[in-house]
Amino acid sequence: MKEELEKNPQSTISSSQVFFIHVCCGLALAAGFWVAHHVYSLNLVFDPTKTLCLIWAIEFPVVILLFSCCRQKPEKCSYFTAIARGLLGLPVGALLNALGALALGAPVGLQYLEKTVNWSLLMSSFTFVPTACVYGSSWTDWHRIFACTKPNGPLEFMLCLPAHGAVIGAWFGAWPMPLDWERPWQDWPICVSYGAMAGYVVGMVGSFGLALKMHAGRKQLKAE
Amino acid sequence: MWGWWRFGKWTVLIMFLHIIAILIFTKGFLLTRTELPHSSHCSDLSQSPCHSSPSSSSCWTKPAVDRLIIIVLDALRFDFVAPSSFFEEKQPWMDKLKVLQRMASENPSSAKIFKAIADPPTTSLQRLKGLTTGALPTFIDVGNSFGAPAIVEDNFISQLIQNGKRVVMMGDDTWTQLFPNHFNKSYPYPSFNVKDLNTVDNGCIEHLLPSLYQQDWDVLIAHFLGVDHAGHIHGVDSTLMIEKLEQYNAVLEKVIKELQNQSGPGKLHENSLLLVMGDHGQTLNGDHGGGSPEEVETSIFAMSFKDLPSLPSEFDSSSCEVDLSFPHSFNICWRLLGGIEIFFLLGCCCVPLLITVEKEKEKSLNTLTLEKTLTPSKNICISSIPQVDFAVTVSSLLGVPFPFGSIGRVNPELYALAVCTWNLDDDKTWNNQDQTKLEEWLQNYANVLCINSWQVKRYIDVYSASSVIGFSSEDLFRISDLYSKADENWSYTKNLSSYKNGSSNTSLPVLKRQIVAYSNFLSYVAELARSKWTEFNLKMMGTGIGIMLLSLYCHTLAIKKLNKSYGVSLLSSRDSGISFGLMLTFFMVLIRAGSLLSNSYILKEGKAANFLLATTGIMTLRYSFMKNKMLIEVSAAIFLLLTFIFRIAIEVGLFKQAATSQFMSSSSSWMLGISISQSLWTYMAEIMPILALIVLGYFLYKSISSCYWGIPKYVIMGTILCYFLVALHWISESNILDLAHFLKGFGKNCIPRTVYAITLVQLSLLAIVPMFCKEETSNCRGSLFVKMMSILSACSSTIIILQGKQGALVALGSLLAGYCMMRLQGIEQHTVSGTAGISILDPLPVLQWSLLAVCLLFASGHWCAFDGLRYGAAFVGFDEFILIPQAILLTIDTFGFSHILSVFGLPLFVAFPSSFNQTEHKSLFPIKLFWIFMVYGLITAITATATILCVTIQRRHLMVWGLFAPKFVFDVVGLILTDLLIFVASIYYFNGLEDRIGNAELRRLW
Repeated sequence: MKEELEKNPQSTISSSQVFFIHVCCGLALAAGFWVAHHVYSLNLVFDPTKTLCLIWAIEFPVVILLFSCCRQKPEKCSYFTAIARGLLGLPVGALLNALGALALGAPVGLQYLEKTVNWSLLMSSFTFVPTACVYGSSWTDWHRIFACTKPNGPLEFMLCLPAHGAVIGAWFGAWPMPLDWERPWQDWPICVSYGAMAGYVVGMVGSFGLALKMHAGRKQLKAE
Repeated sequence: MWGWWRFGKWTVLIMFLHIIAILIFTKGFLLTRTELPHSSHCSDLSQSPCHSSPSSSSCWTKPAVDRLIIIVLDALRFDFVAPSSFFEEKQPWMDKLKVLQRMASENPSSAKIFKAIADPPTTSLQRLKGLTTGALPTFIDVGNSFGAPAIVEDNFISQLIQNGKRVVMMGDDTWTQLFPNHFNKSYPYPSFNVKDLNTVDNGCIEHLLPSLYQQDWDVLIAHFLGVDHAGHIHGVDSTLMIEKLEQYNAVLEKVIKELQNQSGPGKLHENSLLLVMGDHGQTLNGDHGGGSPEEVETSIFAMSFKDLPSLPSEFDSSSCEVDLSFPHSFNICWRLLGGIEIFFLLGCCCVPLLITVEKEKEKSLNTLTLEKTLTPSKNICISSIPQVDFAVTVSSLLGVPFPFGSIGRVNPELYALAVCTWNLDDDKTWNNQDQTKLEEWLQNYANVLCINSWQVKRYIDVYSASSVIGFSSEDLFRISDLYSKADENWSYTKNLSSYKNGSSNTSLPVLKRQIVAYSNFLSYVAELARSKWTEFNLKMMGTGIGIMLLSLYCHTLAIKKLNKSYGVSLLSSRDSGISFGLMLTFFMVLIRAGSLLSNSYILKEGKAANFLLATTGIMTLRYSFMKNKMLIEVSAAIFLLLTFIFRIAIEVGLFKQAATSQFMSSSSSWMLGISISQSLWTYMAEIMPILALIVLGYFLYKSISSCYWGIPKYVIMGTILCYFLVALHWISESNILDLAHFLKGFGKNCIPRTVYAITLVQLSLLAIVPMFCKEETSNCRGSLFVKMMSILSACSSTIIILQGKQGALVALGSLLAGYCMMRLQGIEQHTVSGTAGISILDPLPVLQWSLLAVCLLFASGHWCAFDGLRYGAAFVGFDEFILIPQAILLTIDTFGFSHILSVFGLPLFVAFPSSFNQTEHKSLFPIKLFWIFMVYGLITAITATATILCVTIQRRHLMVWGLFAPKFVFDVVGLILTDLLIFVASIYYFNGLEDRIGNAELRRLW
């Protein structure tokens, strides 16, 4: 699989590959939950710090390994360089996510620090790490995908949609927080994490759908 | 001026519509009752037609009870007290207060359980107010109780004090807030920590039992809070609740035992009455405040410790006779009220329990109906009593004058329990002696009712004479008609009773008729008062909302027209499609409007607004990245940083709010974690505002350095002088530098007054001078900018001194935020605009500005509640209370940043003397300015309309009076203020603009 992926640069990434990567990412997320629940008997509601830590620890290697296969210009950049880029991207993206969350109203304080750190690491592996693996520090690509939101090709959609989905999902996930229902999941960052994960999954589904559609379109073109 | 009118007629029209809509809506929604300062006095009774009591020592009525023990159990549901057999299903929390049930079934003649019906809002403070004054609660009790919750109306407690009774209080500190100087002894415990179930209760228990042996009180009040707190935290169906109830049962058992031990002749509690009561009920989740049956139904248990002769057994059994042929049903019968035999049939007014429960509220309005529901197992008869009756009944028992504003009726059963325990329920077996007793009792009760009716009539007369919103003349006519009818009878009855030995056969029916007449009158008044003071007028509210929506329509119409004239004169083929900014604005306004539907979002409105503001900030940051403008990215980042700082300020404000609000449990503990050494912290707090002032002054100085125009220069110099004075004021207040003795000669009021005076002079200069001398400046933008700076600086000094030290910091923050926004606006102008360098009309910056204004309101330590007003600001520069200047100061303090400066700062988006381009059509300039004013007004109006709609939808909500109504008042006042300020600001800014542009050109545009 790895070799197969490596051979296919951005333009020709097939819908089955998109599907494979997304399913792996989704399964990693589910596996994180499963391990937390069954092995460590943890729960996002009762111990968000450890659970989030476990989830991102399982999610982000999968993301790095998979997306590094789709790196741009594989001839210039080895698989391990891409992995290193992803590892570097993780804390940078976490910092950006944390700053965004703080600007939007995440609680400040030492007792929230761990939760915020773990949450932003998870967010980073949803949003920042994949693109860091694929494009590294190429400003124009980042600019195109995230500032202008003008991705082209299934690969860029694969980077763009889940990331935007996660951020928008987290934004919506913050809405129940001020309500006075006094449920334990209303605390920071539980519902925000749920929102982010839901948005991420929706984004993945959307990107897969688009990949299918584009593939069909290309086939048609070829047929014509 | 003519040119202004072309634009300005819209503002006038919209302002007019808003004022009409709000007036109509408010009349239907805000139930107002004027608090009267009068109080009843012993000597007043000579004006009444009734007997004064025979002995000279007593006042209005003959005291029937010497000592009164009131034990208030907060949030006592009716089913905590009543036996479980009253309900369809036995729940775990029922039958826990067994001692009360046992007492009521063992001695029905001296102990009784009542179902008490409270009037919403069912919050403790409002209920205690209602219980002691006997009046109905309303949202605005117009009176001089501005700020402090202390009761100024005549009430039961102050009547006790006036008549030399000694009152001891223990428990919930709400009592000491309401009656700050009334108690001989008080043991208050803090009530706001909902999570603490035991402090108040343990304190009560600690003082309650020893107090029972002491002689230094006549009335004892013990207020337990545990059940209320247990309900709030854990709900009704929880083990903690059951533990609490069991604890209370033990305490009550002890209390009753002690009282019984002391009840012998000559002993301490020879003639005492024990009342165990709730102030309101609660839902199964522990909420209360609204008007659902669960919340309004609470209980009163009354027990008298008189040494009573035991009554013949037939009296007992006959009252609660059980028909055993229906094993599970209650013995049920039903009589209409008003019959002659009412007092003999009290025990038989029964309907099926379910119907009783459903109709309970309606019936409690017709207070004559005394239903009783009988249980097959125990002979407990429960009748219901509206809580408004409490004050007057207890007053009559203790022999003190009835509270002036009470509209209750002396409840016959509660009264009978203590006055002369007469079994009223028997209609078959009474002998002559009993009949005389009965007659005596009825005579006495009729006299009490006479006093009661006279007092209520007097209140209604005085009220309608002195209040603006009184009763209609028809209602008044009907009241006096009923009263005069009852009174007519009374003169006859009185005469009749003077022949003491007259035939009792004739006197009894006459007395009963008399009582019925008085009761009719009292119930009519109570019903009328309820409809006037506690019911919404939906038609008026609907009309108000309709007019409000119409005004919104006009607003959009005006904006469309402006858009059109802007677009037409542009003559460019700019696509008129919906831009991203417009969509985002629409979405944000929609979210903000929708969020007002929930009490939680209103409570944390500052944070919600900040969230939206930060979201728009992030969007602009992203946008600026898209445009690859380095400078602008930096300002967007600074802007985000500022929103973060504002957020911290808002959280500090929330923390303050949580300390006083009854709806918020104190959260945000992170601030307590800051453990910087105290001295450094205070030092910083002293220095920072002064530094901020210096920076502000420097900015102002810079802004005029390039200005050649006369007046603004003087104005800004004046402001800088003001800042200097303000800084001096703060230094003299602080104790870091011992400067106080330098300034002793001035007096501490001198500096604020000087600042006010300078501000007035500046404003009048700005208003008057441009009318006479016209400056010729070619640069529209430049002159507008100078104008804006001068008026902002003129307003700012007063606002800063009123806001105190935080004011300078907030002012600096808003200045920076405004600057950032201006730069961000710059990219739009620079990049999106087409050929001629004309900026497009993007509502997003205006939305940001209005969200920022909301944030500023909260960041400067205000919130939308009446305890969120900073009353201290009204006394800056004044020592004594003078209503009008202080109301103005309070308004300036509250709305200073969020409305006054925001509206006057709006030209920011067009006035910045940008280096980008000067080529924009001059003629478009006023249109754009006006467009910004209109959009800002529209956003404010939409929010206010949403508040009005949400208040209407939530009018039966738990927190309607605590949260929604204050929010409504704030929004509505803010809206009218915004309209007014837009009107003034548009005149101010347009005056002179049109000269420069030329009327001819303006006319062409329209």
